[in-house]
Amino acid sequence: MTAPVEQPPSTRLAVAQRVPLWRDVVVLKWFTQVSLLAVVLAALWLFVGQAGNNLRAKDITIGFDFIDRPVDIQLSEGIDTLPNSGGRALWVGMVNTLRVASVGIVFSTILGIFVALSRLSNNWMLRKVGAMWVESLRNVPLLVQIIFYSSILATLPRTSFLDPTAAAGPLNQNQGPIHNWLHISNKGVSLPRVFIADGFYQWAIVILLGAIAAHFVRKKRLKQHDDTGRETSPILWAAGTLAIFGFVGLFIHPVFSFVGPIMGGIASLIDSLTIPMTQAVISIVAVLLALRWIRKFRTDRRSGSGHLNLSDDDWFRMIFAGLASALVIVVIYKWTGLSSWLLNSGQDLFRLAETKFNVDGAARPFDAMRPDVLKPGNFANYGKNGLTMTRGFAAVFFGVTFYHSAHIGEIVRGGILSVPKGQVEAASAVGLNRAQSLRRVILPQAFRISLPPLGNQYLSLTKNTSLAIAVGYSDIVQVGQTIYNQTGKALPVMSVWMLFYLACSLTISVVVNFFNMRLKLVER
Amino acid sequence: MTEIQSSAGVPVIAAPPQEPHLPPKEWLKKNLFSNVGNTLITIMTSVVILSLANGLLGFAFGSERQWNAVAVNSRLYMSFAYPEAQYNRIWFSFATLLVLAGLSMAIWRGGTRMPFARLAKSAYSFGVGLAIMVWLAPLSTSGTVKWEIAAGGLLLAGFIFNRIAAQDEERSLSSLTLLVGTLASIIATLWFIPYGRHSFIGDRIPQVVSEPGTVAFSTKLPWTIMLFVLVGAYYLGIVLRDRLPERRTRSVLMGFWLISPIFLIYLVLRDPAFTMNHVLYTDIPLVLGFLVVGSLILYALTKPSLGEIGRIIAMLILLAGFGSFLTPMRMIIRIFLIALGLFSLAAPTFSGDKSTRRRYSSIWSGFIVIAGWLITAVNTPSTVEVPGDLFFGGATLTLIVAFFTVILSYPLGVLLALARTSNMPIFRLLATTFIEFVRGVPLITILIFFSVMLPLFLPEGMRLPEVTSVTIGYALFSAAYVAENIRGGLQSVTRGQHEAAEAVGMSTSQKTVFIILPQALRMSIPPMVGHTIGTLKETSLLYIIGLFDLLYVGRSVIPNQTAFIGSTRENLLFVSVLYWVISYSMSKASQRIEKRVGLGER
Repeated sequence: MTAPVEQPPSTRLAVAQRVPLWRDVVVLKWFTQVSLLAVVLAALWLFVGQAGNNLRAKDITIGFDFIDRPVDIQLSEGIDTLPNSGGRALWVGMVNTLRVASVGIVFSTILGIFVALSRLSNNWMLRKVGAMWVESLRNVPLLVQIIFYSSILATLPRTSFLDPTAAAGPLNQNQGPIHNWLHISNKGVSLPRVFIADGFYQWAIVILLGAIAAHFVRKKRLKQHDDTGRETSPILWAAGTLAIFGFVGLFIHPVFSFVGPIMGGIASLIDSLTIPMTQAVISIVAVLLALRWIRKFRTDRRSGSGHLNLSDDDWFRMIFAGLASALVIVVIYKWTGLSSWLLNSGQDLFRLAETKFNVDGAARPFDAMRPDVLKPGNFANYGKNGLTMTRGFAAVFFGVTFYHSAHIGEIVRGGILSVPKGQVEAASAVGLNRAQSLRRVILPQAFRISLPPLGNQYLSLTKNTSLAIAVGYSDIVQVGQTIYNQTGKALPVMSVWMLFYLACSLTISVVVNFFNMRLKLVER
Repeated sequence: MTEIQSSAGVPVIAAPPQEPHLPPKEWLKKNLFSNVGNTLITIMTSVVILSLANGLLGFAFGSERQWNAVAVNSRLYMSFAYPEAQYNRIWFSFATLLVLAGLSMAIWRGGTRMPFARLAKSAYSFGVGLAIMVWLAPLSTSGTVKWEIAAGGLLLAGFIFNRIAAQDEERSLSSLTLLVGTLASIIATLWFIPYGRHSFIGDRIPQVVSEPGTVAFSTKLPWTIMLFVLVGAYYLGIVLRDRLPERRTRSVLMGFWLISPIFLIYLVLRDPAFTMNHVLYTDIPLVLGFLVVGSLILYALTKPSLGEIGRIIAMLILLAGFGSFLTPMRMIIRIFLIALGLFSLAAPTFSGDKSTRRRYSSIWSGFIVIAGWLITAVNTPSTVEVPGDLFFGGATLTLIVAFFTVILSYPLGVLLALARTSNMPIFRLLATTFIEFVRGVPLITILIFFSVMLPLFLPEGMRLPEVTSVTIGYALFSAAYVAENIRGGLQSVTRGQHEAAEAVGMSTSQKTVFIILPQALRMSIPPMVGHTIGTLKETSLLYIIGLFDLLYVGRSVIPNQTAFIGSTRENLLFVSVLYWVISYSMSKASQRIEKRVGLGER
């Protein structure tokens, strides 16, 4: 081996000088990046400018004023079937989307786990049924399925097993399959509805206290389990505590009417704040957060010996964090309305809470109503009293639930199969029976493996509810389409859609990532 | 799994031990009646399945079902309003694809040997299944008897196969023989079994005429010819396989698979009305000129010792291409100039000895010829006269949109994945923003956006047909998902590969093109196949936009014909079965190919 030859400084200088500007890697990299960015921005600018011209030529204005304007929309269902403004209509659509998505997520998970277990069962028949379920549902487009279910449900008996001669208004007691408790027809299914009544918020405080108590009970039982090694069923005990609190709370909840004045006090406190104070507080918080992030980032990047080695990219991120906080400050000072809006809405929130807690002592936390049937015009339909699952809802719900249960079943099956065989054998070696080893050994590990793809399924389920537009279920896409057909404001409506779905996606991925982090194997 | 050293010294992975073949009685006991719980489950699932099948079959074959609606309108389903006088074009396109399929099956040595024992088993199970289904279905007495005879035939076939297997266990049948045999017998039934002649007469008020007898001559003859084309192409492929160099034949065939759909759509199905003068005196000279000059330039630019001057020339050509937008000029020249600029910019990556350089020039020639006739064909008006904008609809529209979406989204997805994993922050930021944004919103909002809003974003005078803008939107959507699949592949390429490529002195682009991408693409084939099937299935969303795809025909067109009002459910069932058959067979075929190639086993 030869010793490395020390180059004279003049040679090094020559090497450094010999790279001309157009061959310097750093210069080239940044040149291409900046020029691509310029091209993208220029293209966007051109397109948007062209769109502006075209819109002006067609005399269409862009703006979100449709949110406050009254619209002429009748929704098939939702918290408000005759919304008085565009914004309200979109809100009803969002609630409908979330409703069918959340119910779909829950049921498709349950069904998917059943499908997975049946495909892994010892019974040949059950295995084949599981396989048939998966293969038949996975290979037919969801949209075709949804439309098909809707057209099947349309063959149910007409709503007129109500007496056709009956006047508008609630039915008499003797109609419907179970007298006035359950209605099934081609308009959907209507059940008695349990709803939150005036006393609920006071009762919720009891439940909150119960949850705290349950937490401590669970901790205690867990400790007992660790100390003695006996099965102490902490979850069961915690649930029992919560149930006892809930039951007792039904009778003693008026005790908590004193919370109302406290909320009122907070509202008055917010009222006394001024706008400059709010602005200052928010700016300081933004700057502090950015500084904290940068400090943490630098600590993370430090090597074991304390050496800090920052790449271009790291600098970029740190500058980006600083810019973000600056942006917050600029926004908060540029739009004073934002601060006053924050103050006002905070105040409103607590004023609302004040009225919610200041209720009569006799108010019940829950109440229930039986379904009713109205006869507006020629067509009988369900009224607002019952809990109604309309045909559109049912079609979308069955569609997404069945379709995604097939996918989720395959994911869970893959997860279970990927648990090493040694784990099962070890479980039976320490004396766990089949059910115990499934619950304590196999499923937790399978769940860890299948969580990220499950999250993707939940995301796509939420997005797939947008196919409701084909069966007339008033989800956000259908409502939005009606609005832009009436007002011509396609762009604003579409931006509302995209923001809404992005928010849903972000929420789901945050939740899934949270659990993923909790469940991840801690590696060295 | 145990590793056994094979004679060549390559480790082979031993197959997992086969389950012992149990006699029927023990098999039943083990799998269905091992204990009380199991027996209960068996009985319950049997009852559920039988009643479900009963309900489904009662629904499908009930007397009130109008299956005529599907039989009469099968033409509408396949090619929508394509003029009947031009049907030879459709048959020609179909035959072209069949020739390609037959050649590929021969050259890739498709098909497996199926032992007769397995054939007997599947014939038995199909026969028993069919018998039970016929027994459950509400058919007429004669229908029941006919179908039960068919089931008996299957059972008989199973018996014969079993006898053959008993004589010689090694006897097997090629799955291609089985496929062709099945197709031939189905086509033979067209000639002999009186399905009835359904036809539409009249334009304004469609009226269905159903006559007894076998199907129309214009249906059964082409199908028979198609079968012969397929078989003939297969034998041609076997002849060619032994004569030609294998690798080159395969890549040429792949090229044909990529090009022929575009060729068929724009030249055969669309039937452009070329004006010979324009073609002869403008287009052909232009293409020839670019071909010759471009090939020479590229041949010169791929010389390894060229250095800086190559880049400068490439930039100059590119600048000329973009600068040509400032002066009035034919669009085709601008496109060719920019393409030449991009090709010469990539030239240093493909530099090498003379044969490499010649290949690069010939790639350019092929590109320019295809691009030339494609641009000419697209710019020539079509002579096919149909109501509405599109000359294709139904299954054709579904397949064409799926094809173009896949073709456009794969390269775009590769670029996005490379940008997302590169070490350049702005590229990464742009790619990540695009991918995450697109993946966060549902497909239907993107399709609506592109069908409603894209015309507003275009400069004045420029018009895109709705199907084009929707396909662009769908391709962008799909590209984001493709990019994520490929990113997975890129991340699975080990660091050592990067370092090895750098060690032999490759430039970044050479490393990416020749070392990283081939491995990454290979790793991402399984998810990409799944994505492609998904793309095909989700073309059904075109229904919501109002394009006449398969679902639209089944849901809205046929149930509105006066003869078939209220036949929605039959048509939807037919559409579902069609989609099911396509996606199920695609996924099964891809699984088999993956297993054979050994994908995902490294």
